[in-house]
Amino acid sequence: MVVEVLAALTMTVGTFFIVVTGVGLVRFPDVYTRMHAAGKAGTVGIALLILAPTIYFATSDPFVSIRGCLAIVFQFLTTPGATYLLAHACYATSYAAHSRTEIDELKDWLPTYPDEEFGRE
Amino acid sequence: MSAWLAITTDICLFFLFVATVLCLYRMVIGPRAADRAIALDALSAVIIGMICLLCMRWGSTLYFDAVWILTLVGFLGSSAIAKYLARGRVF
Repeated sequence: MVVEVLAALTMTVGTFFIVVTGVGLVRFPDVYTRMHAAGKAGTVGIALLILAPTIYFATSDPFVSIRGCLAIVFQFLTTPGATYLLAHACYATSYAAHSRTEIDELKDWLPTYPDEEFGRE
Repeated sequence: MSAWLAITTDICLFFLFVATVLCLYRMVIGPRAADRAIALDALSAVIIGMICLLCMRWGSTLYFDAVWILTLVGFLGSSAIAKYLARGRVF
């Protein structure tokens, strides 16, 4: 019973974060803010959603729980790395930020070049 | 699995479907390739969550291997797209 309540709680919160990711992907104005939504809320949401069967199968099938813990660790290792690589690629190919962006601290550090191949809208 | 947990899982699956539709919408209208790559990343996360919830719903642990294999492989796709966008080639 306690296991089922814990599983229901984690999967409800995880689904909330995933839906927040989807809404952020549609509503945010430029690619960097969309990355903010997909990289942070998405990672937390997917970790909670993997945690739900990890808790639920903990008593009946412990090896599934071990695989779930591995999946959470891999998710926290890989998703921020992929988001960083995409953000770096966008900035290096001078993807314009939204017009209300005020601070661009990366301008002095990272050279950008115009994107000939993918620069068209 | 008790009845209320089954109903909770079904409601969560419906909201994951809503998130899938939102990600696909961004993938269709996204102005450039980077937006579509981010939407693909988020979509793989939604699909992993769906597999987890279906494992619980069906009481089967068969598909749970797909979860951590997808957590490893989904990352490779978006990083390859990022390299391709930055340099015009992958390697």
